[in-house]
Amino acid sequence: MRRQILLSRIWVVAAAGILSSAALLLGACSTSSAASEETNRENSQVSPLSPARHLGPQGQVGQFVTDCGYSHSAPDDPIVFPGKPGMSHVHDFFGNRSTNADSTTVSLLKAATTCQKQRDTAAYWAPQLRDHGQAVVPVKSVAYYRAAPGVNPKDVVPFPEGLHIIAGDMTATEPLSADLAGWACGVSSSHDAAPPQCPVSAPLRAVMTFPDCWDGVNADSKNHKSHMVNSSAGLCPRTHPVHVPQLTFAVAYPISGTGHDLTLSSGSTYGIHADFINSWDQAGLANEIKLCLNRDVVCGLSSNRDEDPLFGPK
Amino acid sequence: MRRTALKLTMALMALMATLALFATACSSSDSSMTIAVPADQPTIQKAVDAAKPGALILISPGVYNEDVDVSTDNITLRGLDRNKVILDGQFKLENGVRILEANGVVVENMTARNFTSNGFYWSGVKGYRGSYLTAYRNGDYGIYAFDAVNGQIDNSYGSGSPDAGIYIGECYPCNALVDHVTSEFNGLGYSGTNSGGDLFIVNSIFRNNRAGVVPNSGSYELCYPERDTTVVGNLVYENNSVVAPAIEVALLAQGNGILLPGGVRNLVQRNQVFNHDRTGIGLVPYPEEDASDLAPDAAEWDTPCSKTHDVKVPPIAAADCKAVDGLLKGCVVFWNPYENRIVDNTISGSGVADLAVGTVDLLGLGVTTDLLRNCFSGNTFTTSAPNDLQALAPCDAAGNGGSWDSGALDLLGLLGSPAPAPPKDTYQTTPEPAKQPNMPNAATAPVTPAPTGPPKVDIEAIALPARPPETTIPPAGT
Repeated sequence: MRRQILLSRIWVVAAAGILSSAALLLGACSTSSAASEETNRENSQVSPLSPARHLGPQGQVGQFVTDCGYSHSAPDDPIVFPGKPGMSHVHDFFGNRSTNADSTTVSLLKAATTCQKQRDTAAYWAPQLRDHGQAVVPVKSVAYYRAAPGVNPKDVVPFPEGLHIIAGDMTATEPLSADLAGWACGVSSSHDAAPPQCPVSAPLRAVMTFPDCWDGVNADSKNHKSHMVNSSAGLCPRTHPVHVPQLTFAVAYPISGTGHDLTLSSGSTYGIHADFINSWDQAGLANEIKLCLNRDVVCGLSSNRDEDPLFGPK
Repeated sequence: MRRTALKLTMALMALMATLALFATACSSSDSSMTIAVPADQPTIQKAVDAAKPGALILISPGVYNEDVDVSTDNITLRGLDRNKVILDGQFKLENGVRILEANGVVVENMTARNFTSNGFYWSGVKGYRGSYLTAYRNGDYGIYAFDAVNGQIDNSYGSGSPDAGIYIGECYPCNALVDHVTSEFNGLGYSGTNSGGDLFIVNSIFRNNRAGVVPNSGSYELCYPERDTTVVGNLVYENNSVVAPAIEVALLAQGNGILLPGGVRNLVQRNQVFNHDRTGIGLVPYPEEDASDLAPDAAEWDTPCSKTHDVKVPPIAAADCKAVDGLLKGCVVFWNPYENRIVDNTISGSGVADLAVGTVDLLGLGVTTDLLRNCFSGNTFTTSAPNDLQALAPCDAAGNGGSWDSGALDLLGLLGSPAPAPPKDTYQTTPEPAKQPNMPNAATAPVTPAPTGPPKVDIEAIALPARPPETTIPPAGT
């Protein structure tokens, strides 16, 4: 051990000179790579409407996962109808327990959470699912935080405090890209535009992926969308240069088998969407991003281990 | 003369330089490398943040309401008293100690309780050791190693977790040793999805869980299948608890001692297994609906995990996607137990069968129990499914050609009536464990580094453990 320490110290001294000349070289390199990135950005000024999603089993890229219980339902939407209780279609709320039409980042930061990670006091919501017209009480939500495909994980910074984001299109009456917002069975990354029939061992989930490039200035925008766009081939456009986590939000429902007639409080199941206000404990969020995303570590998984078994009572 | 003087001067200078370097090296490996909590740093996290590789963090008795993140290589966290140095998550914090891609981190001689996820958790590391650890009332796992290699979990205790008390998953080869642990009153005593390869579970006690030792395969995580795990010299008994916390797979596995759902090429030898409602040692399929991938062929079983991390898994081709009538959507993959060797165990008191192997060919692929190449020799047992299993499928000898249908395992019957699920927060009220033995000389023992390669285990030297004279499980109260 001591010998190793010695050697490494000698190496450090010797290497210092080499490193400083290497730094000069690197400096030159980084300039040129920045230039090529610029070009790429200009080439990809139109950001794709649908996000690039991670497919296949989890564990190939760094992520952290936050499981949040169902909190409450209300006809409120603090992003689209702030200060106007009752104006919205009914939403199911997850995470922050206090979310309502009057919520502000400040009020949310003071409230409790349903999340397993207690530092996740963010507000997540989605329209209420109905089966034959009856409200379906969700089991829980699962939020995956990752660098979007192709994004250098070291470039990802935390969502700014109070950031508002919407995923999906509540007005959709025709199938959208299931990459944007869709339906799946259990943790499968295969998504459909309409709810599939799911087995008991992998019941129905709605899955929405939020855009991951931020304009760096605005926590919200008039249409609640234009301050955020999707990255393309790992790059954010110059208009939205800040890489934030790609948040994929899933709502798990106790729905499997046949005989369902599913609609959303907002209308067609094609219109599944989700909303997010970043009211995380900001230091807690920054810590997870530093430890898990920037270092590309799989800090947690969501699995079907806790779903009903295949041969369980029907 | 001058040349001699010059030589001498140069030699002296070299010596002095060497000494100076030694002095630097020494000072960084003695007392400055030991950080006392709370004397030097008020919290464990602050001590970890201040620690350099090689540091020893010595923690005084106390209840610490912290979740500790470690991202520095080669540090040791040690409690001065295993039963009095307590990390307590108060059912609010997530992990007692979380080691993320920091290699060679050792945690020893302390307790983690009341965390919503795990007591002690290593992920993405090379080299880890957990010794003299107690983990109880944690919401997922007690002691949990994921995507981690070169490890050891010894002299440790896990209870009151709905998933596994001790878990090693997603590694091949794992190069890991689980030795002298006790795991009780969990959903599963031991589990590990898609792990194996120089992975030894030895000299341990798994009792009064929902199910005892349950490694499994599945494409919901990387690096499938589970294979090459060695389970030798353990006491596995009375894993029938209907009141222990449980995730759903634990309900499915309920009442089995050693169950290998989709396990491949495992060695189960000289274990003392008794009093289970279902099977003592059971080899069964793990049916995965809406699977991400097909079960790999035998030719791929030797593929190291590291080779699977960056491989994109394409969706299952339509032609290979088999749905089962009445089982609805998606591709169903049966992870079958292949080529397991079950030898020299003593099994008794099983409700369904002491030894069992079975699959069900729901997909019509022609895979039947007799084709799975599992073998059974030298076991002491009374009942088996199929009947006379040791004559039917002996190891290293030809079978007697008897019927595989006679007394075949009723898999659907076995799996079809799981126990009712307990409330989600059951883990929070599980029994307080007994005081556990301390590591010797915690205050003065030098740092022992984590393993750097596969464990050296002489499994031939591990005897069948004696059946304990008193097998009454402590009452499961609250």
